[in-house]
Amino acid sequence: MIQIKYKKQLNNFILNVDFSVPEKGISVLFGPSGSGKSSVLNLISGLDENEGDLIESKLILNNRVIDDSDNSICIKPWLRNMAYVFQDHRLFPHINTKENILFGYKRSNSDLSPEDLIEKFKIKDLLDHFPSQLSGGQKQRVAIVRALLSQPELLMLDEPLSALDYQSRQELLPYIECIHKELNIPVIYVSHDIKEVLRLADYIVVMDKGVVIDQGDISDLCITQPLLTQEEGASFILQGIISKIIKEDKLVEVDCGEKILITAENMQLKQKIRILIHAREVSLCLSKPEDSSILNCIPVLIDELQADRNGTLRVMAKMGGQIVVLLISHRSADQLKVKKGKRMYAQFKATAIIK
Amino acid sequence: MIELAPILVTLKLASFTTFILLIIGTPLAWWLSNTGSKLKVAIESVVALPLVLPPTVLGFYLLLALSPDGFIGTVWSYISDTPLSFSFTGLVIGSVIYSMPFVVQPLQASFEMVGKPLQKAAYTLGATPYDTFKNIVLPLSARGFLVAITLGFAHTVGEFGVVLMVGGNIPEVTQVLSIVIYDHVEVLEYAQAHYYSIGLLVFSFVVLYITYSLNRKLMVRI
Repeated sequence: MIQIKYKKQLNNFILNVDFSVPEKGISVLFGPSGSGKSSVLNLISGLDENEGDLIESKLILNNRVIDDSDNSICIKPWLRNMAYVFQDHRLFPHINTKENILFGYKRSNSDLSPEDLIEKFKIKDLLDHFPSQLSGGQKQRVAIVRALLSQPELLMLDEPLSALDYQSRQELLPYIECIHKELNIPVIYVSHDIKEVLRLADYIVVMDKGVVIDQGDISDLCITQPLLTQEEGASFILQGIISKIIKEDKLVEVDCGEKILITAENMQLKQKIRILIHAREVSLCLSKPEDSSILNCIPVLIDELQADRNGTLRVMAKMGGQIVVLLISHRSADQLKVKKGKRMYAQFKATAIIK
Repeated sequence: MIELAPILVTLKLASFTTFILLIIGTPLAWWLSNTGSKLKVAIESVVALPLVLPPTVLGFYLLLALSPDGFIGTVWSYISDTPLSFSFTGLVIGSVIYSMPFVVQPLQASFEMVGKPLQKAAYTLGATPYDTFKNIVLPLSARGFLVAITLGFAHTVGEFGVVLMVGGNIPEVTQVLSIVIYDHVEVLEYAQAHYYSIGLLVFSFVVLYITYSLNRKLMVRI
């Protein structure tokens, strides 16, 4: 675990965080604008100014003490071996893409192969270009490669998509997803965009007004954490293994205890995947309909009913060892006599976020 | 007849001054562009003083400071036996102070334009502050340096009041162009005054034209 503890007087509130994130996967620092997320990244990276306002600090990464106010330890930012992708790309304007991506590489003991990352991030054709000749999405891609090539022990991304248009965001997201698959380094990703969070996060730290109000694995928090469910509603995560690839329909069959069909490409047989499904896209029926266009209909055992916002009920149902969450109205619940212990069918389309 | 000596003295003075100003001015401008110190405004004001003070005021105090009993003169006496007042060295010291804002301000402005965000990005990629300065800030401030060098040089060439006060108008040692022109006018030798004046006029115009066309934003401001 990466241990992070900071207390600092900010302009209008005191930042007071004490949390840990796993040493692998993407941990998202999530919260509304102005909740202190970027300040935390600045403190972790050592780029924070106004050191006088720092009350307490402790940062331990890979058993290395980086900040410790009790022992007056504060490693200089250039010695921390952490890379940072900023909201604005911050590429150096006087050198081309190639020199930019090699800037950190040359200053580290990196044993990564630049050619390999150039290939994976598809920037080969951009190597001779100067930053001013690149589009917004390309700049961020180059910035990510530049950060990765320094082979950091921790990669931080501060809302790297926020300055981009919708199209560029969609293009860049798969690259961000592949960061931790390609390189086994922990990533801390700051975002206030719920869609981004649900798609990218493995672990979530929810912040508000300078304090951590919740933290945990995405599969736990996406069901009930109010800040995470306020926009898209509750979601749930199923884990499974790809048991069949139906290429002609761009579908894969995932064995999650029950077999379900998901729209996906570029997957491999036996690949372990996690899929995120929005609870509002799941409906409940008493028997298995034979004439529905909806591909997935799986038997579930109703486990728990909770009141959700807007007068709906949040139903937690068991499917094998996993939990399916769905939202229904009180009226439907009455009509179908939904109650704990009842066997029913959950129906949902093949669309899901593959994580 | 045009004499070569005052031209050479002037060029030598301007070259020495610009060189020394780059050495002093670069770290000073770097500090000013990065510091959050309360002293910043005070130092900026001191650097800009020559822009508003009559050169005679500056020259007068320099004359006192450079004299054997003065502050700089006393320090100097430990280093060298020759007096500072009415010497070329004294003239260089005066010029360095007088032309300081013309070098420091464009440098400071260009360092500020490079900005902290890029420096911070370099730090996260393992570059030390010196490394960052050398490989990021310096190349991106090339125009600022060009402006600083041309302005510092040109302003020293055009200096009159301070050199008159501390220089002593000694031919081949401290006698610069502006003073030669003054001397000629005083004895009504307008033709000679014209030669030097036209030369300086054209020189100054060309220098300013080049600097302005390079970048207006880096121009000296009060």
